[in-house]
Amino acid sequence: MGKIIGIDLGTTNSKIAVMEGGSPKVIYSAEGRNVIPSVVDPITHVVGDVAKRQLVLKPKETIYSVKRLMGRKFTDPSVQFDMKWLPYSIKSGRNGMAVVEAGGRTFTPPEISAMVLQKVKTDAENYLGGKVTQAVITVPAYFDDSQRQATKQAGEIAGLEVLRIINEPTAAALAYGLDKKNAHTIAVYDLGGGTFDISILELGDGVFQVKSTNGDTHLGGDDFDQVIISYIADEFKKEHNVDLRKDPQALQRLREAAEKAKIELTSAQEAQINQPFITQGKEGPLHLTMTLTRAKLEQLVDDLVQKTLKPTEIALKDAGIKASDVDEIVMVGGMSRMPKIVETVRKFFGKEPNKSVNPDEVVAVGAAIQGGVLGGEVKDIVLVDVTPLTLGIETLGGVSTPLISKNTAIPTSKSQVFSTAADNQTQVEINVLQGERPMATDNKSLGRFILDGIPPAPRGIPQVEVSFDIDTNGILNVKAKDKATGKEQSIKITGSTGLSKDEVEKMTKEAEMHAKEDEEKKEKIEVRNTADSLIFTSEKSLKEAGDKVNADIKKEVEEKISALKSILDTGTKEDIEAKTKDLSDSLQKVGQAMYQQQPGQQPGQPAGDSQSTADGEAKTGDKKTDKEEPVEGEVVN
Amino acid sequence: MDDKKTKKFEEDKTEKKDETVHLKKEIEELENRVKRIFADYQNLEKRVAEEKRALIFNSNKNLLLNLLPVLDTLMLALAHTKDKGLELSIKQFTDTLEAEGVSRIETKDKLFDPLLMECVGTKEGEELKVLEETRTGYKLGDIILRPALVIVGKKDIDEKEKTCKN
Repeated sequence: MGKIIGIDLGTTNSKIAVMEGGSPKVIYSAEGRNVIPSVVDPITHVVGDVAKRQLVLKPKETIYSVKRLMGRKFTDPSVQFDMKWLPYSIKSGRNGMAVVEAGGRTFTPPEISAMVLQKVKTDAENYLGGKVTQAVITVPAYFDDSQRQATKQAGEIAGLEVLRIINEPTAAALAYGLDKKNAHTIAVYDLGGGTFDISILELGDGVFQVKSTNGDTHLGGDDFDQVIISYIADEFKKEHNVDLRKDPQALQRLREAAEKAKIELTSAQEAQINQPFITQGKEGPLHLTMTLTRAKLEQLVDDLVQKTLKPTEIALKDAGIKASDVDEIVMVGGMSRMPKIVETVRKFFGKEPNKSVNPDEVVAVGAAIQGGVLGGEVKDIVLVDVTPLTLGIETLGGVSTPLISKNTAIPTSKSQVFSTAADNQTQVEINVLQGERPMATDNKSLGRFILDGIPPAPRGIPQVEVSFDIDTNGILNVKAKDKATGKEQSIKITGSTGLSKDEVEKMTKEAEMHAKEDEEKKEKIEVRNTADSLIFTSEKSLKEAGDKVNADIKKEVEEKISALKSILDTGTKEDIEAKTKDLSDSLQKVGQAMYQQQPGQQPGQPAGDSQSTADGEAKTGDKKTDKEEPVEGEVVN
Repeated sequence: MDDKKTKKFEEDKTEKKDETVHLKKEIEELENRVKRIFADYQNLEKRVAEEKRALIFNSNKNLLLNLLPVLDTLMLALAHTKDKGLELSIKQFTDTLEAEGVSRIETKDKLFDPLLMECVGTKEGEELKVLEETRTGYKLGDIILRPALVIVGKKDIDEKEKTCKN
């Protein structure tokens, strides 16, 4: 069976998405763009970007914005209004329905839309490498039955079986997974290229119901661009007394510059508009250079932004609710990226709107998800094939060291080499942990086991390889192996992915909540571990140096070692850090003294293994990077 | 007694036969699954290679699209200054682009072709003929980087159509 595609059949642009491997993916057009302009030349069957390029040349034969006529009677006031500005001819067809005329032939709006859908189908087939026969198409929430029928018909003409027609705001809510959240009332704020729609949805028993819709059919991104263009042109005219709007070539560049500045100002506070040789003045070429600040832009478009609030108020009133009753707000349409718009919406509803999904693609994505549900690809199963939480082991100082991070696809395996924390340690205990918190005690212990029989050796020398392996059934196998003796010990844990959804959510939330204090705790342990390691290195260095170091230096180092030891368990993080630095500084004198004892050796070059290691460790805080060497983070005993 | 033994033997034989059939079927199923997974993997490899190629292409495309307006400005500057040094610098720039597979879309004396050009205005003149190029178009290999912006000839031009609309 072929894939079911999701189509956002828009007034200005159409978008396609499909479920792939359980997640929605936007399909790019043959022209390499994530949108297909809803523009058609029905005589030559040219669609999309190519048709748009001839709009100026063939204004009467190139049809755009046909969605405005979909399923409407010729006498409909909205059709009568649009007739005044649309350059192609609109007539009354069968049953008094609005039809368009091009090249002496008449076409119904579904026929024109079908041509867009045919391109959508072809581009999707090229991408997927197979036939596409089924689709979910979105329509505005205010579309009545005949408009929905007309859209369905368009799909059928294009050779697509339309499995479902869904509302654009519902699709947007689906894209955010709001059907699975505890949201009852959802507001969808959709500010696109040419239209503004606000919809209030109510969710009950997994069904979205449209409570009310409102909007402005002639308000969108194009109006914002126009305001910016006018401002720049006016400023230029003030300075040079030349109207850029009268020079088509300059206007084209100005239009592009305005759009670029608008996009830049969504992230930056100011944008440089720099268009050299924009036009010819009386005394030679003129250059357009100016800075547009975000504050200025916001001032310019304030009226347009405020214009969206009136319909929003009416929609709320029609739904019989207050702004504060809305549980979730979803932002749709490219213009909803503008910080001023997000801020206005946030203030109006008193809540942070959802805007993480690309607002240009969110409706198509929602349609693809609906397609996935209908095709059985999307089921209400959560985290079956990934590890829901991080798995790791407890290391020195009670730190939880992760081996397999959360959301890793299973089956998977990972191993890491650890070492001992004390001299002559002959056994290590492996405490298998699950959870996101940095400290072992805050995570869930899945099981423990002991690996013994490690030959006595100084700390850091033994190499214990710990391997985690999760099979397809989510069964975790943890194995610890002493590389020297080949001795190994293992444990099988069956519940590693068997947490309930609530448990996973609870643990993830807790991790987020405690992130800061956990980080501090972990930092302190790390500082303590560095100090502990330095004490060990210092003692070792002094012992090895013997008489090569004079008594004063030796005494100084010994004093600093005991000073650091005394506060190791009780001192603050800052105290330990300061005393560690003191000791580290003094320890360098030991190194220096030893080099001086060896004629012919240049300072800074390795004199011998033990010495260079001692010096190196003191500086780097005991971190070794070589894979064969034991890594930092020793196993506790 | 012998009959019983034979019967038992026959029963065992049938049972073993059934088991063999069952195991053979299972092996076949597993083989199919392995083949399928192997095919899936190969397809994935192909897809990844294709996506890698597309990624490189798109990165180059985006970089070039950001560089082309600079070239436009330099060309405008040349039109005003007629400076020899600038002319040579532009040539060096365009030669480099050409070496990277970028080619200019020719519009001179051509008929309007929406696959390669975008009409930004019309003028009285030979029907559908490109009269003026307001911005050069470029291709990267066979793919359009950006169309050439052109003014196209029209016989019976009416005032309403002259306006630039996008």
